[in-house]
Amino acid sequence: MRPLLGLVLMTFRELWARKIVLGLFIVSSLVLLAVTFALNLDVVEGSLAGIRLFGQDAMPEADANDGASPLTLTRLVVAVESVVAGAAYWIGILLALFASASLFPDLQSDGRVELVLSKPMGRVQALCGHVLGVWAAVAALTLYLMGGVWLIMSLKTGVWNPQFLLSLLIVVGMFAAMYGAVALMGVWTESTALGLIVSYGLIFVSMVLAAADQIAPTLGPVGKPVFWGLYHALPNFTEVTRIVSSLARGAAVASWYPLVSSLLFGGVAYTVTGYWFARRDF
Amino acid sequence: MAPPALSVSSLSKTYRTGLLRRSGVQALDGVSLTVEEGAIFGLLGPNGAGKTTLVKTLLGLVHPTGGTARLFGAPAGTPAARQRIGFVPENHRFPGFFTATETLHAYGRLADVPRTARAERIPALLDRLDLDGRGDSKVKTFSKGMLQRLGLAQALLNEPDLLFLDEPTGGVDPVGRRAIRDIVVELRDEGKTIFLNSHLLSEVEKVCSQIAILRDGSLVRQGRVETLTAVERVYDLVATPLPAALREAPDLPLSSAPSGSAPAPDLARYRVRAEDRATLNAVLDRLRGADVQIESITPLRQSLEDYFIDVVDAPRDS
Repeated sequence: MRPLLGLVLMTFRELWARKIVLGLFIVSSLVLLAVTFALNLDVVEGSLAGIRLFGQDAMPEADANDGASPLTLTRLVVAVESVVAGAAYWIGILLALFASASLFPDLQSDGRVELVLSKPMGRVQALCGHVLGVWAAVAALTLYLMGGVWLIMSLKTGVWNPQFLLSLLIVVGMFAAMYGAVALMGVWTESTALGLIVSYGLIFVSMVLAAADQIAPTLGPVGKPVFWGLYHALPNFTEVTRIVSSLARGAAVASWYPLVSSLLFGGVAYTVTGYWFARRDF
Repeated sequence: MAPPALSVSSLSKTYRTGLLRRSGVQALDGVSLTVEEGAIFGLLGPNGAGKTTLVKTLLGLVHPTGGTARLFGAPAGTPAARQRIGFVPENHRFPGFFTATETLHAYGRLADVPRTARAERIPALLDRLDLDGRGDSKVKTFSKGMLQRLGLAQALLNEPDLLFLDEPTGGVDPVGRRAIRDIVVELRDEGKTIFLNSHLLSEVEKVCSQIAILRDGSLVRQGRVETLTAVERVYDLVATPLPAALREAPDLPLSSAPSGSAPAPDLARYRVRAEDRATLNAVLDRLRGADVQIESITPLRQSLEDYFIDVVDAPRDS
């Protein structure tokens, strides 16, 4: 167990030593500071009476003509949390993949891999230690940003939206699924660039797959099953945005399938990576 | 009876290459060898001979295609076998953001060394390897020699019984080389077995008790250094100068040494080629009969470098 934890810690430290992760940490800290100090709410008897952003009045007025409801505390909290969740999901995961893509190829490079694999642990254990370390580092950063925003907003407004915390888990889970593709390319080609191209490529493809209901009917007898095959086999990164958004809004999730199929993709990617990593010569 | 530190039997490795992995390069071809506990064993061979593949196979970094390898009786490459070993790879790289102490804690954890033991051993190892005072320095600021010593420290953290050193003095200056050599000898004196893979034959000659030479994946020589480098039935004789009659005697299998000065002005050095023990004794009797004072007579040895070149340059079937 100690060697496994040792590799988790080493990978965690290695990722946190990267400038891009430090940058994400600083940006997250700025967001938390802004939510704490720059966003001032006037709450009168449990209702939102005014919002000041950086000292300026930012309270939108209800439009009496179209009957739009005035901004409530709950709507404000949901709006802020949705923006943060969306940013953490898209920008956070893209940057986290960028920051971590070189870790696995580095671990397998000459002079490093020998130091690790000559220690008394199996290769699958070594892979698990590395992957858990990457997940832990990304989870810590996500918890810091999303957990921090949730806590500050909840304390400031008294509106607690616990479902938002589930979206935090989904951000980490989807990162984990996408990192499976990076790890697979890492063990296959030892190339950071290829790992990034494939993982970003899968995200791009998921944008097309997200429109499956519109695209699939227009395809021919061969294209249609191929398209649906890809839809079920590849991660549905774009569609999972809807789940994150629903959770951040405290709404019911229409379908968990995109998340489940994406996690299954990650599971298969890690299994193949483990098999390959165990059989490889270094 | 305790199993040997290392035993290898008919070990083979073929690397598959090409898109369909149909062609192959045979890196090891039926290598068998045994290293007893407490030895310093030197593995020699020209580039591409299979030395690194052999070491990596023993460590489980490379999967053999045939044969077996055991470390202290446990199958090589298993965590159980690696529990008792330390390894300093050639050109090892530590994460640069760690300090020396953090590096040793990190790799100590990987080697399953408990925190209390690490806290005790790390300062002692830094001191022993002349890195005391650098424990809080970032590894990226270290010189090559310091990195080699730090590599040795991480390999010693789990107090291994068998230490693999792959080119431990590569790129290190003569002072650093000597420091590492001294530590290797100290470790041998502590009862550890050392498996040294090196191109520096002078280093190997100084510290190794046994060597093996690999060539094209096959083990072509193995044995004690002094046995392998002894020139058959040729002796180095140091004695008072021979009288002219003996010097010119055609039946005396003796000649002046081609090189090497005599240890004193009144002594000379000769080469004796005796087919057998009786001939050698007859030569010595004739010298004594002529009042020649014999200072010493020793079997002639060639340098390990000369021996190595003879072996690797020899035709394959010799």
